[in-house]
Amino acid sequence: MMRIFWTIVGKELLSFLRSWGLLIVVLYSFTVDVYIAGEGMQIKPRNVGVGYIDNTGGGISQKIISHLHPPEFLPPKRFLSQKELSEAIFNKKILVGIIFDSDFEKAYRKGEKTELNVLLDATAASQSFTTLGYLQNIVLEFSKVDFPVELKSHKLFNQNADNHTFMALSELLSVITMLSILLPAMVFVKEKEEGTWDIMLLMPVDARITILAKSFSQVLIVVAGTMMTVGFVLFGAFDIPMNGSFWAFFLLTFLYSFTSAGLGLFVAAVSKNILQVAQLSMIIMMPMIFLSGAWTPIYAMHPAFQALSMISPLRYYIEGCESIFFRGTDFFDLWHYFAGVLVLGSFLYWYGFRKIGKLF
Amino acid sequence: MKWRVIKAYIVKELTELIRTRLIVMVYLMPSMILLLFGYGIRMEVTHARTIILDYDQSHFSHMLTEKFEHSKYFDAQIGLMSEAQALHQIKKAKADMILIIPASFQKRLLHGQKSEIGLFIDGAFPTRATTMESYVQGVVLQASQEAENIALKKGMIVINNRNLFNQAMRDENAMVPGLIGLVLLVAPAILAALLIVKEKEKGTIFNFYASPVGKGEFLIAKLAPAFLLHSLNIFILFLWATYLFEVPFRGSFWLYWLSSELYIFISLGIGMLISVVTRSQIAAVVMTVIVTLLPGFLYSGIILPISAMDKASYIEAHFFPIMYYNHILYDTFLISQGIASEKIVLYLGVLFLYAVILLGLGTLFLKKELR
Repeated sequence: MMRIFWTIVGKELLSFLRSWGLLIVVLYSFTVDVYIAGEGMQIKPRNVGVGYIDNTGGGISQKIISHLHPPEFLPPKRFLSQKELSEAIFNKKILVGIIFDSDFEKAYRKGEKTELNVLLDATAASQSFTTLGYLQNIVLEFSKVDFPVELKSHKLFNQNADNHTFMALSELLSVITMLSILLPAMVFVKEKEEGTWDIMLLMPVDARITILAKSFSQVLIVVAGTMMTVGFVLFGAFDIPMNGSFWAFFLLTFLYSFTSAGLGLFVAAVSKNILQVAQLSMIIMMPMIFLSGAWTPIYAMHPAFQALSMISPLRYYIEGCESIFFRGTDFFDLWHYFAGVLVLGSFLYWYGFRKIGKLF
Repeated sequence: MKWRVIKAYIVKELTELIRTRLIVMVYLMPSMILLLFGYGIRMEVTHARTIILDYDQSHFSHMLTEKFEHSKYFDAQIGLMSEAQALHQIKKAKADMILIIPASFQKRLLHGQKSEIGLFIDGAFPTRATTMESYVQGVVLQASQEAENIALKKGMIVINNRNLFNQAMRDENAMVPGLIGLVLLVAPAILAALLIVKEKEKGTIFNFYASPVGKGEFLIAKLAPAFLLHSLNIFILFLWATYLFEVPFRGSFWLYWLSSELYIFISLGIGMLISVVTRSQIAAVVMTVIVTLLPGFLYSGIILPISAMDKASYIEAHFFPIMYYNHILYDTFLISQGIASEKIVLYLGVLFLYAVILLGLGTLFLKKELR
């Protein structure tokens, strides 16, 4: 029994290694792709381009401007007329335009209510919103209002709100999802297409063993790739913290890949050729990845989407992984992530066995 | 060029598209991506689950907590738990932040001393953490202004901001146009790659190798259906954006249409290049998704405006066509400078160049023989 199992696993691994095109794609996704995702983005407002018009003749306006410094802001550019300033915003050269009217300083010196006009490019809503916050703080500081309440904020687990680690992790999870659905689905459908699957079923081997062995071989590939990414890219390049237990992550990844392989099995069961596999897995994957809570937390979504996300194994996996990596949650507080993945996985295999594991 | 041959070939491709139900994918996928992203991704934070530990229970502290309770941005829970328990809630991902008001809060305020409020945010999701922090700052600021009437103090500068192009700061307006650029980059590329690689994998490409059909004719026959089918998507996506997501359209529709068609050519070119290097359909799909979706998302300007990127990313962004197209897209939807702006004319030229180069390279590398 076990011998048959391992023979099939070995055969699948061998044929994977032989198809070099696929091998390269898998290697690329697990290394370069994750690296690019982590390296590529800082969503915090940095290098925000600021332009200003100063009709006051210097003084206070220049002092305010001098507060806008790197890394948050690029050196502010001076424009001579409002037309030039708006043109620069329209062409997306700068995000923020500040206009000091000619009576700005006069009003300020007299102690009247002073208005500072700010133009924001609101197509980049989150950046301009945060920039506005920065400006408000600068002005407050500048007005020397003795503010009675001070907010001491701490970002737990990630004090500098460093985005690289988060982005790299999210991308890795998407890659795992994509491959652990596609690879198994492909393995089954290839045999279906070539007609060898019927022969497999006719052989005196329990179909369930064949199915398990085939998915296990692909899960091995995915888990091996994941460990490679975690070692080289996450720990090596990004120095991601690991506040929880590594083995919890390993186990969760293994179970999750098995469940996704179950999804692949489902895809393979209902499609006739590889083209349909590609289509169907896209249609399943896209909602899974974008409703997983990686980009927007589940509780902030539309109620219909919240309900849908309950049946997505990725939802449990992502939250579990974030908890393991960043929050350092105890093993026993993670049980519902394991449970969610397991329940969905068992159901998928049950369906797969019934649908694809029988000749008639 | 024998037009009869091309026509026959195109008819064959279209029939196959319909028979293999690939046509469903052509129209389902772009709309699906747009709807999922548009509804599923929110940059602004609402209903942040906040645990407030009020150790003061005074007039002032209640004034502050009330502010949190009556805001749509926070789901406040005035806690009757210890700090350790609250932290445990965060670790279990059941709460996003803890706000701690110290016991001497009101007393210190009345004595004119500075009091501190502690805020602990779950930093596992850095962007959201930063956003939530600035929201809380806003609330605290507002509450203390109301309490003290500082606004009327001497020499206070008030910021009077105007949000150009998107007055209400709607997430939809900021995102949906960018998404169209992403969708039209991914979908046609996949279709073009699949149409060619399908024949390679099945071996039917030998019909083409052996037949007198020319390379140009073959390519036209393969790309024309993909181009025509996806041209319809330009209009479908436009309707979703303007009617469902209610994004205003202020610019010229002709510019939108023309640049989108150009952009589809670019996407087809990418698909063609991928079909040259891959042999199996699955590798083609995975590769297309990887080379288009991720860079497309990063450099689309949806998450981060190009001008605010650091030097390296800023230069990288210029290599990807999506940057140029999305500039035009945002202009047609929200800004409406049209071709009066030199930058837009320049970017149209860049798109044209991209299309020519990519399609040219694809034609060059496609060999009409066995390798």
